[in-house]
Amino acid sequence: MTKPARPLAGAAASTTGTAIGLALQRLFPTTTAKGRILRLAGLTAGVTGSYVGYMVQRLFLGEEQREKKRKSVHAHTGRRIRDELMTLRGPAMKFGQALSLHTDILPDEILAELSKLQMEAPGMHASLAEAQFKASLGRAPDAVFKSFLPEPFAAASLGQVHRAVLRDGTPVAVKIQYPQIRAAIENDFKWLRNASLPALASGHVQKSSLDELESQILAETDYVREADHLEFFRKGLAPLGFVTVPEVYREYSTDRVLTMSMVEGQHLDAFLATKPSQKMRDLIGSRLHELFTFQLLVLKKLHADPHWGNYLFKADGTISLIDFGCVKEFEDVVIQRLRKGFLYRGPFDSPEFQQIIREQLAQPGKKVTPAILRAMADFATRFYRRVYPPDRPDDWTFDFSDEAFLRDFAAAAAKTIWAKASAPQYIFMLRAEVGLYTTLHRLRARVPTSAIVRRILGASVS
Amino acid sequence: MARKGTAPPRRRADQKEATRARIVAAALALFRTRGFDATTTKAIARKARVAEGTVFNYFPTKEDIALFFLAQEVELAIDAVQKNTRLRKAPIEEKLFTLVQTQLEFLTPHERFIGSVFVHALKPGCKLGVFSPAAQALQFKYLAFVQELVDEAIRRGELKAAGWWTPQVFWIYYLGVLLYWLHDPSPGKQQTLAFLDRSLKIGIAILGQ
Repeated sequence: MTKPARPLAGAAASTTGTAIGLALQRLFPTTTAKGRILRLAGLTAGVTGSYVGYMVQRLFLGEEQREKKRKSVHAHTGRRIRDELMTLRGPAMKFGQALSLHTDILPDEILAELSKLQMEAPGMHASLAEAQFKASLGRAPDAVFKSFLPEPFAAASLGQVHRAVLRDGTPVAVKIQYPQIRAAIENDFKWLRNASLPALASGHVQKSSLDELESQILAETDYVREADHLEFFRKGLAPLGFVTVPEVYREYSTDRVLTMSMVEGQHLDAFLATKPSQKMRDLIGSRLHELFTFQLLVLKKLHADPHWGNYLFKADGTISLIDFGCVKEFEDVVIQRLRKGFLYRGPFDSPEFQQIIREQLAQPGKKVTPAILRAMADFATRFYRRVYPPDRPDDWTFDFSDEAFLRDFAAAAAKTIWAKASAPQYIFMLRAEVGLYTTLHRLRARVPTSAIVRRILGASVS
Repeated sequence: MARKGTAPPRRRADQKEATRARIVAAALALFRTRGFDATTTKAIARKARVAEGTVFNYFPTKEDIALFFLAQEVELAIDAVQKNTRLRKAPIEEKLFTLVQTQLEFLTPHERFIGSVFVHALKPGCKLGVFSPAAQALQFKYLAFVQELVDEAIRRGELKAAGWWTPQVFWIYYLGVLLYWLHDPSPGKQQTLAFLDRSLKIGIAILGQ
């Protein structure tokens, strides 16, 4: 019985807060759907509790102390959320990663904690990782590699990555999946479907969108498929000349273990800490933008897991792309329809643009209403026309350090959601696009957006 | 050169060990294919290419062969924890995981046989049963090691003082894991790995309160 659990935990949150939250978390393991639901409920209780505590304390604290306390509560909450999402793994962790991309809506302290989720996760202890490797490849890591470091150096939401050296001396990264992650994801989606019932009933979330999300995340559990993606992108992105994609070692890979060549570079935070010049930030920003547009329009496949942990930057301005679990493939017809909207010159309330939107959002059994058309026109006016003006010279750049643009993007995107203007095929594209803009904002890059799109549109006639 | 039958003691001991290993290997192969109950000492002798009397010299009954095999399993698992230098500083959770996981890996090729031993051990008077002195000695050895790990964890502050019953509870837990493993249809026994990891986390968290 999962139904009474949430109201019960909710009541607990409003009365006793953290203690109940902790007790709930300790009592219920994460293996069953009920356990995970209660754990998430416990997290809500715990987090609510710490805010309740802060609200009470603020009555008795001076302004300065209050600000200090508020920051510490945020940081504490961020840690709690991060720790819980790490324990749950699967889509809950993905959700945390998605949240951490929203620099505009969350306080910095929470964001700092959540951003750690992108690169660290407590994963399996060395013995479990080795057992999982052995269960999958039939031999222990020590028997396969010249050396294997039992401590992971990076976390993936579905597993963790270890350093190893092949018998011929080649350094490699070995990604090992947490056992039974697939079942955990299926349980999470049971919870997500229950939690989304009101939104499903009102039509703001569509069942097909949840299905798309689940099937994409489940697909990430198949490392054989990820190996296929790696090989596809390694070849496909080679013409760009500035992207490195790891090489797969199939003989040391299975559906749960993925052995790849080691790629170099720094994560965004570390890269920014080296204080790269504006010129370098512009170069990296332009390249990230080109990478996104090239994937979408030329390869018609998108690395759709845009969180910062998946990009590595080098001092020479080259980029390494890792973690190809979440790849979205688009049908030709979808890309053809998207192309028509790129750098559109006419007014957004014209019948021609409305027809483009109708085609883009066409779904069986769903009507593109005037409200949807208005929301999309608003989105295009407030965001796309500003970031991608069609009539500027090639040397024109958009300055992504602009504080307002992300907020505008989020607000206009939210409006389209309220107008129920979503289609399942765009979920992962939007996710990647949000990731791109957030990264460009953090880079404070100036990017010749329109020129890049114009060049790739011209070079890739669909 | 020593004449046949008067080999030096060391070589004689090696030969004995080799014969014992041959009998055990033959018995395990038969347990696997024919099942524990249907395997006779005669068949074991034939497969090991020794006289039936020789089998009796080493193992009075086939239950003794099973006990010998289980003793090997326990020894190997204890060794896997004790001799792994990396594990010395690891938390008790990982040590217990390694202990049980090593046992399960050892048992993996003999899954069918383990299932029937489980049932067989319930028979009154069976040497593998809970009241047999031989089986108890093995259980004590295993639980004494678990107790050592628990005591060390208490000294290191990982666990609050645990009761005398902790190893006994662990024994029941281990049998539960074994049953779970026997019925786990997932490839590579994925479900058991996840179950073992998560259940140990919870158990240690409770004892750490």
